[in-house]
Amino acid sequence: MYDKTVARENQATRPAFLLPCFALSFGLFFALGLGEGFFGELLAPAIGEPAQSGLYGDFAVAITLALLFTGNIVVLSFLPWVAQVGAVWLELLFLFLLFFYSFDLSLPFIQTKIWFMITRGMFTTLYVSAISIAIASVIAIIGAIAKLSGNGFAYAISSFYTSFFRGLPLLMQVYLIYLGLPQLGFIVDAVPAGVMALSLCYGAYMTEIFRAGIESVHTGQWEAARALGFKFPATMRRIILPQAFPVIIPPIGNQFIGMLKDSSLVSVLGVWELMFLARTLGQKEFRHLEMLITAALIYWVLTIVLELIQARIERYYRRKR
Amino acid sequence: MNHLHTHHSAIPRLRGGLVRALFGALALVGGVSLAATSALAPAHAGEVLDQIREKGVLKVATDSNWAPQSFLNENNELDGFDVDIAKEIAERMGVDIEFVTPDWTLITAGNWGGRWDLSVGSMTPTKERGRVLDFPVVYHYASVGVAVHNDSDAQSLADLEGRRIAACTSCTGELYLNKELSIDAPGVAEVEYPFTAGEIVSMEQPAAMFDDLRLGDGVRLDAVVDSLAAMREVVNRGYPIRIIGIAFNEPLALAIDKGDAEFGAALAEAVTSMQADGTISALSQKWYGEDYSQPLQ
Repeated sequence: MYDKTVARENQATRPAFLLPCFALSFGLFFALGLGEGFFGELLAPAIGEPAQSGLYGDFAVAITLALLFTGNIVVLSFLPWVAQVGAVWLELLFLFLLFFYSFDLSLPFIQTKIWFMITRGMFTTLYVSAISIAIASVIAIIGAIAKLSGNGFAYAISSFYTSFFRGLPLLMQVYLIYLGLPQLGFIVDAVPAGVMALSLCYGAYMTEIFRAGIESVHTGQWEAARALGFKFPATMRRIILPQAFPVIIPPIGNQFIGMLKDSSLVSVLGVWELMFLARTLGQKEFRHLEMLITAALIYWVLTIVLELIQARIERYYRRKR
Repeated sequence: MNHLHTHHSAIPRLRGGLVRALFGALALVGGVSLAATSALAPAHAGEVLDQIREKGVLKVATDSNWAPQSFLNENNELDGFDVDIAKEIAERMGVDIEFVTPDWTLITAGNWGGRWDLSVGSMTPTKERGRVLDFPVVYHYASVGVAVHNDSDAQSLADLEGRRIAACTSCTGELYLNKELSIDAPGVAEVEYPFTAGEIVSMEQPAAMFDDLRLGDGVRLDAVVDSLAAMREVVNRGYPIRIIGIAFNEPLALAIDKGDAEFGAALAEAVTSMQADGTISALSQKWYGEDYSQPLQ
């Protein structure tokens, strides 16, 4: 936003930025004492045996890394925006993978388990969250309309509902529904109990989002619709909701992503979804981190897909405007 | 009302703090009176057994994360000593078997409401659990051991005075550390407590305790109390830990929801025949390399 209104020279090449940047990164790398590790090995031709290099080794590694870091920023600053984003993403991803690589994980073990994690774990996670988000959306629309209505009864019910279900930890709701409902004579299995907890909780959050979205439409629109003889359902469907959606989409996207991850809470009920398998599959072979990281990456990929879909929908509404 | 729904009268007497808090919250918020639910009739005898025979399926709850008792094997199927025992019981009762894997705390809390029929989870019949569960038959015996990191100076249990010690949540190890363990079975020696833990760490996942212990002596934990068989497995895996002694020996039983004596009798019959023909000894040899079918001294 800012750069579109004010044109300035490249900030990254000014000494006022470069010197502190170099000094800071050097200080950080030096404090980490990297002379003996992976980087020490890389620089072994220059600093000799890493283990014996001592402070000199730390110093040389820190200088090298700080130069690389600062130089990298300078180079990136000359690239166009799109290339900058791509390059920084790639660099961060590389560092991220390097970080996991340093754990000494067993890739063959992951290979033997990943297919089951996807077919069983990811599938369960996806269908539990998809059903829950669908039910939550329906609850949310009804809740929002009730919350905006002049009927005190409807308002009271829906505000009580949002207050209660936003006010309790989701994990506690999962337990409450699973353990509590049988006391009333309704025995629900793990998956329905989990879906119920997730949809009630997210329905409460989404009620507030829908309410805010509907309220964002100017009262004049309601008045105009009424003047044209529109009844309530038609006003809602043809006039209010289409204008509310662009406001609602970003926070709803957040809810979808949140739901995908919070569905992991139903693992405590013994549902074989991604989180459950992540905790369980590696146990016999004592490969806990492998499974946790694999599941983490699967969750991440899934949320990236959701982010892309959300971006597309947002673009669609921007074009329509 | 669903007729699978049994024994409401046990609710007010539940001990677990979490469960009590949950029901308290439920009663408050929903305006549900516990007195009203406890007025419902208890199940009549034989009902669970009739259901199992009718459906032809025995639904068994077991831990999914507790090798070698029960775990997911290379084919991503449940396997282990408890799983084999459960399959054998179902076979002798002439029904199919189905496993569910809820958290251990949900199993020990009782009031299963017919979600599953039986727990084959090497459960120790303690007095507290006996208030919400029935223990129809003991099927094997085990020792609970104490392990420390290799670098630890502790040589015996008494050296653990004031240390930071972990046990799994709702396990007998945790009761032992709290000095509240009372095993409700004939012929079990009184438990002795040679040390008082300085801090008790209660962990949901038994496996995570050893991952913490192996980080180093006193880094996160000073010692772990857990099943000796599980400990040996961890030691065989090359974890830098050593077993310094046995905390106590315990009988391990099948557990069922309260109220169906006939189901209990059928299970006892199946297990007795498995003891008589050596099936339990053989399975114990297969999974532990030792015969745990008789009481340990």
